Amino acid sequence: MRMKAKLQTWKFFLFLLPAFLLLSSTGSRLYAEPGERTDNSVNKIIKGKILDEDGNPLRGVTVRVKNAATTAITNEAGDFTIDAPDKAILEISYVGFESMEIPAAQANRTIRLKKSSGDLQDVVVIGYGTKKAKYLSSAASVVSGEQLRDVTSNNVSSLLQGKVAGLVVSTASGDPTSGSNMLIRGAGTISAGSAPLIVVDGNIGGSYNPTDVESITVLKDAAATGLYGSRAGNGVVIITTKSGKAGKTKINLQSSVGFNKASTGNFNLMSGPQLFDYLSIFSTPDPAMKNTNTNWWDETFRTSMTQSHTLSASGGSEKTQFYISGNYYKEEGTLIANDKTGYNFRTNLSHKINSKLKVSTLINAIYTKDNYNPEGGLYQAYTYLPFDAAHDADGLPIDSRYVNWYGRDKSNFLYSMQYDFSEANSLRLNGDLNLEYQITKDLSFGTYNRVNFFNYRSRSFYDKRSQGGATNGGELYNSSSQTREMISSNRLRYDKKIGVHNLSALAVLEGNQSFYEVLSTAVKGLPPGRPFASTATGELTLPQGGVNEYSFQKYLGQVDYNYDNKYFAVASLVRDRSSRFGNNNSGATFYQLGASWIASNEDFLKNNNLIDFLKFRASYGTTGNAEIGDYAALGLYSLSTSSSYAGLPGAAPLQKANPNLTWEKQKGINFGIEVNFKKRINLIVDMYQRTSDDLLYRKPLPATTGYLFVYENVGSVRNRGLEFNLVTKNVQQKNLSWETSLNMAFNRNKVISLNDGQKFSSPGARQPIGVGHDIDEWNMPVWVGVDPTNGDPLWEKVLFDADGKKYITYTNDYNSVANETSRQYLGKSAAPKFTGGITNEVNYKGFTLSAFVNFVYGNYVFNDTRFYYDNDGNYDSYNSMVLPSKWTRWEKPGDIATHPRPLAGGNRLSMSSSSRYLEDGSYIRLRNVTLGYNVPSTFLQRYKISSARIFVSGDNLWTGTNFTGPDPEVVLSAGESSFKYPISKKIMVGLNLSF
Amino acid sequence: MKKYFNKVILAVLFLSLSIVGCKKNFEPSTAIDENSALTNPADIETATIGTYALLRSAAYVRSNHFLMEYPSDEVAQGQNSSDDLSRAYRYNHVTTSGHANNFWVQSYLVVSAANKIIASIPDNSTADLRQLKGENLYLRAMMHFNLVRAFGRPYTQNNGDNPGVPILRDGLTEEEKLTISRSKVSEVYDFVINDLLKASEMMNDLKANPFASKQVANALLARVYLFMGNNPKAIEYADLVINSGRYSLLQGAEFNNYFRGAPEANLETIFCIRHVKTEDQDFSAIGSMYFSGDANGNPAGQAQSGWGEIYASQKYYNFLSANPTDRRLSFITPYRVGGVLQMNTRLTPNTPMYYVNKYNFQEGIINLSSPVYIRLAEMYLIRAEANAKLGAATAQAALNDVNLLRQRAGLSGAALHTLASVATSGKTILDVVMEERWLELAFEGHRAYDLFRNGRPMVRNYPGTHCLNTNPNNINQTVNPGDNRVVFYIPEQERAKNPNLTQNP
Repeated sequence: MRMKAKLQTWKFFLFLLPAFLLLSSTGSRLYAEPGERTDNSVNKIIKGKILDEDGNPLRGVTVRVKNAATTAITNEAGDFTIDAPDKAILEISYVGFESMEIPAAQANRTIRLKKSSGDLQDVVVIGYGTKKAKYLSSAASVVSGEQLRDVTSNNVSSLLQGKVAGLVVSTASGDPTSGSNMLIRGAGTISAGSAPLIVVDGNIGGSYNPTDVESITVLKDAAATGLYGSRAGNGVVIITTKSGKAGKTKINLQSSVGFNKASTGNFNLMSGPQLFDYLSIFSTPDPAMKNTNTNWWDETFRTSMTQSHTLSASGGSEKTQFYISGNYYKEEGTLIANDKTGYNFRTNLSHKINSKLKVSTLINAIYTKDNYNPEGGLYQAYTYLPFDAAHDADGLPIDSRYVNWYGRDKSNFLYSMQYDFSEANSLRLNGDLNLEYQITKDLSFGTYNRVNFFNYRSRSFYDKRSQGGATNGGELYNSSSQTREMISSNRLRYDKKIGVHNLSALAVLEGNQSFYEVLSTAVKGLPPGRPFASTATGELTLPQGGVNEYSFQKYLGQVDYNYDNKYFAVASLVRDRSSRFGNNNSGATFYQLGASWIASNEDFLKNNNLIDFLKFRASYGTTGNAEIGDYAALGLYSLSTSSSYAGLPGAAPLQKANPNLTWEKQKGINFGIEVNFKKRINLIVDMYQRTSDDLLYRKPLPATTGYLFVYENVGSVRNRGLEFNLVTKNVQQKNLSWETSLNMAFNRNKVISLNDGQKFSSPGARQPIGVGHDIDEWNMPVWVGVDPTNGDPLWEKVLFDADGKKYITYTNDYNSVANETSRQYLGKSAAPKFTGGITNEVNYKGFTLSAFVNFVYGNYVFNDTRFYYDNDGNYDSYNSMVLPSKWTRWEKPGDIATHPRPLAGGNRLSMSSSSRYLEDGSYIRLRNVTLGYNVPSTFLQRYKISSARIFVSGDNLWTGTNFTGPDPEVVLSAGESSFKYPISKKIMVGLNLSF
Repeated sequence: MKKYFNKVILAVLFLSLSIVGCKKNFEPSTAIDENSALTNPADIETATIGTYALLRSAAYVRSNHFLMEYPSDEVAQGQNSSDDLSRAYRYNHVTTSGHANNFWVQSYLVVSAANKIIASIPDNSTADLRQLKGENLYLRAMMHFNLVRAFGRPYTQNNGDNPGVPILRDGLTEEEKLTISRSKVSEVYDFVINDLLKASEMMNDLKANPFASKQVANALLARVYLFMGNNPKAIEYADLVINSGRYSLLQGAEFNNYFRGAPEANLETIFCIRHVKTEDQDFSAIGSMYFSGDANGNPAGQAQSGWGEIYASQKYYNFLSANPTDRRLSFITPYRVGGVLQMNTRLTPNTPMYYVNKYNFQEGIINLSSPVYIRLAEMYLIRAEANAKLGAATAQAALNDVNLLRQRAGLSGAALHTLASVATSGKTILDVVMEERWLELAFEGHRAYDLFRNGRPMVRNYPGTHCLNTNPNNINQTVNPGDNRVVFYIPEQERAKNPNLTQNP
C-alpha cells in the first residue's frame, strides 16, 4: 500500500476498501483519495501538468482513473502525480472547465483545459445536491458569477434580467433601495406570492452579496422545483456562494465607480411658456405666471454616483478551505436625498475533521443604510407647475406658504427637505452550520442548519419649521422590527453503482420556523432639529406593535437511476405542511417524475461529427404555493387600535373564515431537447405546460356580506410555453473569439375555470380574471377618440339589437359605459407575448467587448399617471405633458384629433378609467455594454499580481419603445405605471485585481 | 475519537430536529378568532365598541360628509380638485365614484357587525345586554337611513315608491347577502323606524353622547318622521327629547365654542362620532378642507394646516351677516389680510375665502373634530317645521321655537319673528323655519336633503367650481328636486360584484 495510514480509523477502513471500491459510484465523493491499485495490469506513475488556455497553472484539478477510485489533485504549480494502469484512461475535471479524457500513456505532459460555457458546466447545484448538467432530467438554467458581473447593481434579480430563458425580471423603480420582481414561466397565481423561492447555499432563504456569488441555478420545471414542495410553485433560484480551494491564498479586489442619470424616454413635461399657451386655450391664466419657468424634473433628479468595492481572500489546504470577503456598495438614487449604502461581510469556512466528517460554516452579515426623500419627490416632479419658483434670489428654497403659489398643493418640497428626513437601516445576519458525515462508502448524512436574524429600523422626521411638520409642531415616526428564523435540513443519501447501473436515493427531513415582531410610534410637538422621541410633547397616534409567526415542515424521498449514463430516471415524493392553512388542510403531498435520454452516448451517435451532445428529457410533477398571509384561513375580529372607540378597546370584524383554505397546487409537464453541434452551437429548447389548481385568491366581496374580501381557492389557470437558449461560438481563433447567446421565452396564460361557475373573479376591476382569458388581460370601457364635430370624448357603448345581437355605438357619456355591459376585453394583457435577451461577446487578444440587449414584447401597460398630466384641462393646477408627435388636440370643428377639446374643469370625464391610458409597453433595451481589458500577465508579474482586468461599462444606455411615460418597465402582472421612478443610465469604470 | 464524533453528530442532530419538530399552529397577535368574540357580555360590549369604531372610519365619516354636505348652497368650492369630492359638489357624478363606494361599503360593514351582535342577544336578556342590543339596532337604523337618503329619492316624492337600498337585516344566509337587491325607499324607512322604536325601548342607560341611548333613538325618530312627512309623530318624538331634561342649548360664549371642547361635556350634542386626540386625521380631516391657519385659530393662506378649498358660499355669508350680532358668524372665519378679504383666484370670478371652523380645534388640535350627527337645536327646528306644516293653528308655536334659537344666537328685537313680520315679508312660516334651519345647521349635512324633500330647488348664484364649463362667468346653477342627480349612482364597484343592484338613472 502506498498510502501511509495516519489515523487509526484509516486502518480500520483499509481492509474494507477494496470491496467498497468495486461498488463505488461516480457522483458522491466528498474528497479524493490518492491512488490505489485496482486491477492486475501494470501500473505506471504518470506525472503531468495542467494549465488553462492562457497558460496559467490550475491547482485543485481532479485527475481520476476512469472507472476506478484512484485520483490525484494538481498542486499550485498545476502538477499532479498519479499511479495508473498504462491502458487506463484518465478523466480530468475541474469546475468551470470542460472535462477531458486522455489515455494515461499520453498524460505525461502539459495539458491545457478549456473553459466551459455556462450551461454545460460540469457540476450544477440543484435541489439538495449537485449533478452534472448533462445528466439532469429537468429544466434548469445556470448563470455563472462571471455572467453576473456586467450590470452594476446590488440586487441579483436586476443582474439576472434577460439572461435566463423564461425568467422575467421587472423593476418597477430605479430606486436603489427597492428590489425587483422575478417571474418564472408566467403568472401561475393571483394573490399568493409569485416570486420564485430563493435558496442560498443549500437552505431556503439566506442572504448574500452579488460579488460573492459563484453560480446561480434557476429551476423551472416541476421535476426540479418539486423537491422544494410547497414553496416551489413559482420556480426556484439557487445561489451558491464562493468557497476556497486548496492551495495558495488568492486575494481579489474588485472595484467599480460610476455615474447615474435618470432616463426620461419619450416623456416630456411642459415648460412655463408651453403650459401658459396651453392653459390660455381654455382659461385666462394670470400673466404673472410668465415670470417664472422652473424645470421641476431637473430640480428633483440629479446626476448621482454608484460605487462598489469588494476585497476577498480565499484559499486553504487539503483539509481546510476558506473564503472571506468584504464589500462596500453605495448607490445614490437619481432622486435627490435618496441613496443606499451597504456593507457585506462573508466568511465561508470548511474543514475536514477526518476522512468521514466535514464541517462547514458560512456566515454572512449585511448592514444597509437607506435614505429616502422625506417628501416623496416623484409626485412633485411630475405635477408641479413651472410658474412656481423653487429658489429665491439668494438660491434658498422658497417657503410656498407665504407667496402666491400656483401649484395644487401649495407646497415647495425643496423647502421642507432642508429640515425633514426619512431613513432606515437594517442588519441581517445569517449563520449556517453544516455537517457532512460519510457513514459508509455509499451512505452519507448531512445536516444543514441556518439561523437568520434580521433587524430593521426606520425613522422619519418632519420638523416644525417645514410645511409638513408645522401643523403638529413637528412629527417623528419610529419603527423597529426583528425577524428571527431557524431552518434545519437533514439529508441521508445513498449511492450505489453496480456495473452500468447507477442508483442513488435521498431522504430529507426539514423544518423551519419564523418569528417577527414590530413596534412603531408616532409623536409630535418636538423642538426644531430634535428628531428624538424624548423631546416630544404629545402623541400623534397610539403606539402600534404585534408579532407574526409561521412554520413549515417537510419530508421527502427521491430515487435517481441511470443506466450507463445514457438513460436516466428520477422520481420523488414530498410531504409538506404549513401553519398558514386551515386546520383541515394544513398538509399536502407532491410528487415528481423525470426521465432523460442522452442520445449522443448511443453507439449510433457516439462518433458523429456534427452532433457532440444530444439529450431528450421529459418531466412531470406537482408542486405547491403557500405564499399568502400567515393567518389567511381564520375568521378574525381585529383588536387593534383602529377597533377602539372613544378611548375604549373594541373588536371589529376583520376577516372572513375559510377553514377549507388549502395549498395552491400546480402540475407541470416539461419536454426538453439539448443539442450541441460541432462544439460551437449549443441549443436548449423546452416546452412546458403548467396548470395551477385551487388558485389562492383574495376574492373581493360585496359589502353586504360584511367583509371586503375572503381568501379562497378559486379556480385554475394554465401557462403554456416555449423557451429556448442558443449559444453560438461564431469565431473561435487563437486571438479572436466571438460568442453570441440568445434566449427567448413565449408564454400563454389562460384562466381555465373559476369555482361556482363565475365569469370573473374580480368583477369591475381592470384585470377582472375572466374564464377563458389571460389572467392579466385588461377589461375596461373602450376609448374611441374624439368627435370631430365638437371635440367631445367618445367611448364605445355596447348595445343589443332586437335579436339579442351585440353591436357597438359611440357615446360621449362616460357613465353609460362604466358598467358590465360596456366594459370589454381588448385582447391586450399586461403579460408579454415573449421576452428574451441577446448577448454578444467579442474577445480580441486581451480585450473583451460585450453587449447585452433584453426585450419584452406584447404587453400593455396602464399609464395611470396620465390622469394627472394628460386630462384635457381637468386639473389646471398640475403640469401637463408635451404631446408626442403622433398626438393632436382638437381645436375646431372638423379636426380629427387624438385628444378632446380641453376645457376648464375637464371635458365630460375624459380622464376616467378607460383604454385611453392603456399603452403598448413593449421595449428593447441595451441593458449593458462593457469594454474590458485583461492586462497581460507578463506585465503583471513584476508587481506580483496574478491577473488584472480593467473595464468601462454602460447600463441602460438606450431603450426603444413607444411608451409615452419615462420608462416602459413595470411590474409585469399588475401592469400599471404610476409616478414611476425612472431607471438610471449608468456609466461605470472598474478594476479587478487578483494577487 | 468515535465517541467524540458520535457526540458531535448527536448534538447537531438534536439541534436540527428540535427546529424541525416545532410548534404547528399560530394565532395572530392583534386579532381574535371570531368564534371567541361574542361568548359573554363583556365580549359583546367590546364588539359593540368595535361597531362604533367601524363608524368612525374615514371611509364613512369623510366620504359621507362630502356626499351629504357638498351638494348644498351654503358651500362654495374655490378650485377644482382631483379628489372625487369635486363631483359631489358639481353634481357631475360618475358611477365609479370613490366616495360613494367608500360610504356604501363602510355603512354595510357597520350594519353587518351590528347584526352579529343583534343576533346573539335575545330580546329578554339582562338590562346591560338589552342596552347593547339597542345600541346596535340604533346604529343599524342610522346606517340605513343615511344610505337611503344618499342613494334613494326623497320619501316625499311618490310616497317612497322609488328604489332605495338593500335592507341588510340579521339572519340572512350567505347566498342572500351576495345577491340582495334594493328595497323601496318606503320599505327602508319602515325598517329604520322599527329598529329605532325597538332600540328606544331597549336602551335605558344614560350613556354619553359618543354612544347611543334612548334619547338618541328618539331624536333620530323625530327626524325620520319629519322626512316622511309624518308631522304629528315628528313633534311627539322631538318633545320626548326636549322634555327629557338631558340636553340644553348652549348659551353665550359657550355656544361660540360649541365644537371646541371635548364632546362628552357638551350638553347640546345628542350623538356625535367621537375622535380622540390620537385620531387626528390632519390633512385628511373634514376640517382641513374648510380651514387653514395656525393653532390660535387665526386664518392663514392655504396649505398651512389644511387645504382651505371649501368655503362658506357668498350667498350663505350674506344671509347670515344680515344680523351682525348673530353668534353663528363665529363659525365662519373670513380670511383677511390687513383687513382685506382674500380671494381664491383659481376661478373667474374669484371665490371669496370664507373659512368655516365647525370642524376644527376640538381640544386644541387644529384639524380634530367629532362630527355632530344630531343636536338639540335640531329638535326645536323639527318641531317648528312640523308645526308650520300643520297649519295656521300651530304657526305661532313654530315661530316660538325659531325665536328660541335666534335668541340663543344673540338676536333680539326686530330680528325675532312675529306672525305679522312674516306676513309683511311675503314669506310663509315654513320659509322662515327653513331659513332658520339653514342658518343654524349649516355645514352639518342637512341643507340639500331639506330643500329636495320639501320640493324646493337648490340654487347657486355665487362663484364656485359649479360654474366651470358653463357659459363664461355664469355663476348660476339650479338643481331641481326631480333631477336625476339629486341622488348618487349606486357604486359600480358594488354592482359589478352583485348585479342584482339596479342603477339609478
